[in-house]
Amino acid sequence: MFGKSKKANSYQLVGRKVPYLFISPWIIGFLVFTLGPLAFSLVMSFFDWPITSDATFIGIDNYKKMFTNDPQFYKSLWITLKFAAIFVPLNLVIALILALLITQPVKGMKFFRTIFYMPAVVSGVAISIIWGWIFNSEYGILNYILSLIGIDGPRWLIDPKWAILTIVIASAWGVGTMMLIFYTDIKGIPAEIYEAAAIDGASPLRQFISITIPSITPTILFNVITSVIAALQQLTLVILLTGGGPLKSTYFYGLYVFNNAFKHHRLGYASANAWFMFIVILILTMIIFKSSSTWVFYENEVKKEGKKKK
Amino acid sequence: MKLVKSILSVAIASGLLLAGCSSSSGNGGSDKTADGKVKIRFATWDVGDDVKLQQGLIDKFNETHKDINVVLEAYGSDYDTKITAGMGAKDAPDVMYMWNYPQYKDALEPLDSYIEKEGAEYKDNFYETLWNYNSVDEKVLGLPVGYTTHVVYYNKALFDQAGVEYPKAGWTWEDLQATAKKLTNKETKVTGFAFSGKPDPYDFEMYLWGNNAAYVDKNGKLKGNLDSKKSVDVFEMFQKMEKSGIAITSEGSGDTEMKSGKVAMFVYGAWGLTPLKEAGIDYGVVELPKFKDGKSVSILSSSGISVSKDSKHKKEAFEFIKFWTNEEANKARIAFELPVLKSVVKSEKLEQDELRSVFYSMLEKSDGYTPSSFIVDDWSEVSDNLNLVFEQIFNPSSLMDPKKALSSVVE
Repeated sequence: MFGKSKKANSYQLVGRKVPYLFISPWIIGFLVFTLGPLAFSLVMSFFDWPITSDATFIGIDNYKKMFTNDPQFYKSLWITLKFAAIFVPLNLVIALILALLITQPVKGMKFFRTIFYMPAVVSGVAISIIWGWIFNSEYGILNYILSLIGIDGPRWLIDPKWAILTIVIASAWGVGTMMLIFYTDIKGIPAEIYEAAAIDGASPLRQFISITIPSITPTILFNVITSVIAALQQLTLVILLTGGGPLKSTYFYGLYVFNNAFKHHRLGYASANAWFMFIVILILTMIIFKSSSTWVFYENEVKKEGKKKK
Repeated sequence: MKLVKSILSVAIASGLLLAGCSSSSGNGGSDKTADGKVKIRFATWDVGDDVKLQQGLIDKFNETHKDINVVLEAYGSDYDTKITAGMGAKDAPDVMYMWNYPQYKDALEPLDSYIEKEGAEYKDNFYETLWNYNSVDEKVLGLPVGYTTHVVYYNKALFDQAGVEYPKAGWTWEDLQATAKKLTNKETKVTGFAFSGKPDPYDFEMYLWGNNAAYVDKNGKLKGNLDSKKSVDVFEMFQKMEKSGIAITSEGSGDTEMKSGKVAMFVYGAWGLTPLKEAGIDYGVVELPKFKDGKSVSILSSSGISVSKDSKHKKEAFEFIKFWTNEEANKARIAFELPVLKSVVKSEKLEQDELRSVFYSMLEKSDGYTPSSFIVDDWSEVSDNLNLVFEQIFNPSSLMDPKKALSSVVE
């Protein structure tokens, strides 16, 4: 790995030290505040720890209980997966549509770009509170607007059938970041390709399907993975907007873990829950990555391979 | 690679060092301040102006106690999470506000011996009922700071419009329903009564008490208690009010609905006094209605102040919590907390106060009841189950039969 001559070696060492020094605040932060607690929680997942008294080692009992003796575990897992299944595709489509819209050369586009991005800047807590007002079935503005066009709005936060959709809608509000990532990628596609396609008589839709989509597949991959992770970890909204209700229909896995830890004071059990979710996310991400070779197209990868062949 | 390794090991070492420091400073740091005073950390859940007021009181304490320095830590709305985390890290504050005693009992210092030293008169000046709510297993774990009982708030303007007389103490649930019916008006969208569609099980038990029932017996058994006829009757009564349209279920406690001026009555604690006034509602308060063969009983939502079992300066900590619950402090908090000392209630003439006196008469009627949360071992779990069942009973999209719903949870 290191250079061949001694001189080059020492040069490389010096050259390597400086970057590590620069990132050392992050490395230290990572070790102390992420890796440390991570390892600690793994150890704790084998303990019974009621917080107010001492922890006792119980082996894999937490995991055993989770899989065999806790119906809420499966329920929460299922709700969360259901949420992710609705949320991820919907969010991707909305983000992509918005990104396409803000790449159009229209007057005042900067204004719209700001507007669309704005919700991503607002804190999740504020968003939850505002959506709570909007969705209130008696006095909420959403049902008021619906009533103007003759629709008797559902009881968003009370009816278990609607509650999960309510969370999806409120979550989709934070689509701005994803939109921005799509936007920069779409902007990076060379205009000549579109011009050539236009000359060949390709319609805008055809251009979108055959040029835009294939060019941004790496970004789609990135957005799919990050939004799957975000969906599986959703906590802020359910904690503030529904508290897991109505009738536990939005009792997401994140809330289940949080309540086990801080409401029921079962810290060891909650650690085991969290580690299970970690493994689920790990496996899902690996599957998505594996599948990506069939649909993600990297321009530079092809170039590199070409070079190697020479 | 070698370099990476060495950097990593340095980082890990420094990380461990940091961790070591923080845990030792957690215990050792609260030992003494720079000028040799004993440092007492005090955690409060209050926010905003209340914190300012508390800091003022603490400053006064620090001035008069040359050897103690109390530091206020305002944890805000995530209070329980932070207290829990602090206890888990063996870094709990020396003194903390407390309400959920059963859950934290193992981390709190029993105060009986300290209180005994103060003499019987000291203890007697607090309302008796309050000691019950600040003790677990006959051990006092906190000094009472504030409390509220629950009462019926009613909107005077809506009563006047409908030409209905204001309710009076001693009324029954039948009276409440008849009144609610008269006040409900489909055209003006006014509803007679509002209650929570997912009531907190802790709060809801007072209705069962009123009808001579409870969630559990002395041994903490749900079966035969929660699903007893008298208990089921209470749930059926509330569900009937909802079904007949004279009451609506609220997504919260009903205060939002009350503030909108579209609801004539709801049950709430003293928390409503100021906000409702600020919302411009002309309201009155009255004792909870009685059940036919029962009583008018309220649960107490009480707050106390406790000393951590791990504190190294329990004597000084008690000195401070004694100050925190004395007459002067009770008077200082009077704007947002009902005083807990009989002498203060007397000197401030609260028993003549049209609104606040109701909370005190409710308090006297509510002596001798112990909430199930103090009896059941795993209340947070039971409470979760009850919560779900109550929601099944009152949620308009399920409206489950109370008897069926309740018997499903006792098994």
